[in-house]
Amino acid sequence: MLFLIKTLRALMRNPQGAIGTVLVFLLLLISVFGPFLAPQDPESFNFGSRFAPPSAEFLFGTDWFGRDLFSRILVGARSTVLLAILATFIGTASGALIGIFSGFVGGWVDELIMRTIDAIMAIPGLLLALMILTVLGSSSLNAVIAIGVAFAPGMARISRSTTLAVRELDYVSAARARGESKLWIIFSEILPNMVAPVIVEATIRVAFAIMTLATLSFLGLGAQPPSPEWGLMIADAREHMFRSPWPILAPGISIALVAIAFNLLGDGLRDVLNPHSQE
Amino acid sequence: MTQTMVLDIKDYSLTYQTQSGPIRILENINLQIAKGEVLGLVGESGSAKSSLAYSVMRDLPGQVEMETGSMWLKGEDLMTMDEEELMHRRGKQISMVFQNAATALDPTQSLGDHVEETLQAHQAVSKLNKSKQETLKRVYELFELVGLPDPILMAKKYPHEVSGGEKQRVVLAMAISSNPDLILFDEPTSALDATTAVNMLDLFAEMQKKIGVAGLFISHDLGVVAEVADRVAVIYGGRIVEVATVEDLFANPKHPYTQSLLASLPRPSDIRYKRGLKIDEGTPPPRRGAVPNCNFSHRCPKHDPAICDHSRVLLEIQDDRKLACVRPDVAVNEEQARSSDILPPTTDIVLEVKNLTVKLGRASLLSELLNKEATQVHAVNNIDLKIHRGETVSLVGESGCGKSSLARALVGLNPFEGELCLNGCDIKALDAAYRADVQIIFQNPDSSLNPRHTLETILSRAIKLYRPDIAVKERSEAIQKLLEQVRLPAHYRNRYPHQLSGGEKQRVAIARAIAADPKVIICDEITSGLDAAVQAAIVALLRQIQQDTGVALLFITHDLAILRHIAHRTAVMYLGEIIETRSIAGLDHAPYHPYTEALLSSASSPDPKTETRQVRLKGSLPVRTSLLTGCGFESRCPRRIGDICHEQPAPIKSTAESSHILKCHHEIVDLERIEPVWKFT
Repeated sequence: MLFLIKTLRALMRNPQGAIGTVLVFLLLLISVFGPFLAPQDPESFNFGSRFAPPSAEFLFGTDWFGRDLFSRILVGARSTVLLAILATFIGTASGALIGIFSGFVGGWVDELIMRTIDAIMAIPGLLLALMILTVLGSSSLNAVIAIGVAFAPGMARISRSTTLAVRELDYVSAARARGESKLWIIFSEILPNMVAPVIVEATIRVAFAIMTLATLSFLGLGAQPPSPEWGLMIADAREHMFRSPWPILAPGISIALVAIAFNLLGDGLRDVLNPHSQE
Repeated sequence: MTQTMVLDIKDYSLTYQTQSGPIRILENINLQIAKGEVLGLVGESGSAKSSLAYSVMRDLPGQVEMETGSMWLKGEDLMTMDEEELMHRRGKQISMVFQNAATALDPTQSLGDHVEETLQAHQAVSKLNKSKQETLKRVYELFELVGLPDPILMAKKYPHEVSGGEKQRVVLAMAISSNPDLILFDEPTSALDATTAVNMLDLFAEMQKKIGVAGLFISHDLGVVAEVADRVAVIYGGRIVEVATVEDLFANPKHPYTQSLLASLPRPSDIRYKRGLKIDEGTPPPRRGAVPNCNFSHRCPKHDPAICDHSRVLLEIQDDRKLACVRPDVAVNEEQARSSDILPPTTDIVLEVKNLTVKLGRASLLSELLNKEATQVHAVNNIDLKIHRGETVSLVGESGCGKSSLARALVGLNPFEGELCLNGCDIKALDAAYRADVQIIFQNPDSSLNPRHTLETILSRAIKLYRPDIAVKERSEAIQKLLEQVRLPAHYRNRYPHQLSGGEKQRVAIARAIAADPKVIICDEITSGLDAAVQAAIVALLRQIQQDTGVALLFITHDLAILRHIAHRTAVMYLGEIIETRSIAGLDHAPYHPYTEALLSSASSPDPKTETRQVRLKGSLPVRTSLLTGCGFESRCPRRIGDICHEQPAPIKSTAESSHILKCHHEIVDLERIEPVWKFT
């Protein structure tokens, strides 16, 4: 807890970190309270005002059914952002654990794991997610799991390479020489010192996760219409692109903002989590 | 000063901007280097000596807050030049030799290309279009000049194919390729082995005579500077405190800082004159906030507020030198520390190593499947070693000789073959009891202490694992006692390693080792990265601990000068074998193993009372992946007898002295006739 407060305080001193933290915090607020803040029902039709440009009544305009885009974005934030974070978390945690284990144990175990991961990485991430979804069946939660699994190999590689660098350091040797258990070495000596690049990578991946979720929804394998999931909104609005840009712009800009927010946070965290900058 | 100086720095000050406010780097620097002169610049780590080199190169790494003064290179002010003008001067008029040749060279370029590129870059500037052939000829000339054998073959090699010394020679060839007016040397020998470093120093001196270039030689090692420089400038906390000729400075240092620096350096004659080392772990001067009038005043023994704090103390000419001290003639009641005798060790053997062999390298899964033989390095070969209770055995040798592999094997970090015997019991497995009894301290405390753990966590782990007799509640008290034992304040327990200085970090590592109440502590180069005064303090601490607990120390080092102040016996390692074991008391007398002789001779030291006989090694090391038929030192030995050295392993011979054994084909009688390495006056 003390560590969290310290990190937050340091983040607020870092310009990128401060902007990122504020944006991400706002996003989380919207994800949680979005449905209560929405001025209109996201699924109610207003046939009188289809394709309306932004106005006082419809802040972001309306879509082809005359649904209020602002309300849809607010309500959709929950499924989009939270699911993306969940997917990233699954991918990061499992990947990092595999990577640390593989890097620390070394030897033929390491080679076996890494060659398997090489094989998995040969399949494009989206294709892999599609394969998993075909087996699990299509639903939002399964899409999250599929994306998590598809992310894991990349994270495993990153965490393995940082583990290999940390493992050679003398404090790990010192721990081995004094006969510490493997669990202590992995979780207390290595993990805290390799977590920085992993967290930075994870924040960047959140944006990817949103895109992949959107893609899966677009292909009809994730969220199902009329759910206001952002990716799905873009996918559906494609047909009406030439009549009004607003149904695409609103969710598109939202996704971009989320990506920027998490990237900034990631940059800030990278600086803050370096132990030498902590005073 | 009538002649124009090659470099004339006038009243130069530099302040950097940091997140927590401005920080003074260099203050009122005044330095002149004449043509053909080498000025040595010495100071402890953090004294901004490298920053001065970067300022001369006009390539400052920090964010400049304020920069004043002027810097004249042959009558032109470098500080008023724009980037393009500077580019023409860098490499052409001023060149630089870096500390680490391994990173200064591009691994994807051949050695010849490196020099060729430098030549071409500066010919373009002078509009001289030489043909490719002529350029190559010049490359070979330069390689020959810096003493690289077979220049044509060398030019085709890549950096990873040659040794560290050879890389540094290539960097030097690049530096002199355009006939510069000034060469900046930034710790050029620190990363090299002693025997290679002396060869480099000889080369610098020779080069200096041949081409007459001016040089600024930066080093933390006074001994090294004494070898090459004409004059020495001592820098402390960003200010020059004393400038004098080498002879004057070492024979009669006047600034209290210079005096303290010299007093903490070990010398070859120390045993003879019972000289001890001065321990002065003062804090560095403040770099922020109020500007002190004299920045040494906070730790100066003769500081008198009435005189010293009156006005800013500047570098002024006083007699034969320049000095930044207002009361240099005041004598201080401070004698050179006397060495107390190291307590004699007992005769009971605590750790015995028999036929220990360490092989490094593992076959990959693929080559194992293909049944390929793995190439293994024979890091340690059949070593026998005994350590007595209360004894310090030093293990010396150059990098890669297997010292650290042996140390790591002894604490269970490297697999090994052979027998271990602790307290008279054969050790079958390195279990918890053994690990508690044999502790290790690593060279670099920056990497041996986990940056994310507080000192409390670091120390409590060792107590938890090794001292089940200490209850959880009493651990806090035990930590306090440990900190006390290594002379660290109790409130440090909540600090992180990066909040400590280098010497303090090493103390924490020592505290962690003694937490287990061990029988043997292996100290793997633990003073190598430290300044002389801090090294002296750490050595004194280890001796105190040994006196109190009777622990045996295996003190691994490549620095021979410090041995006299800590060790009882020394074992010299070469290519994985112990080639000589002898007592420290007898270090000044022959017979020596020819390698020991060269090693002792290459330990440079600014000792006016000692004359060191020069022994230099040539030749290269054999491959380490196969066992040698003969003596390992044969390829570089200046006293090689003949084919017998190549064909038969050197026999073990003992000398008149009881514990003295060496491995050599020479008869002991012949080795005894060799002149001693040092002559004391």
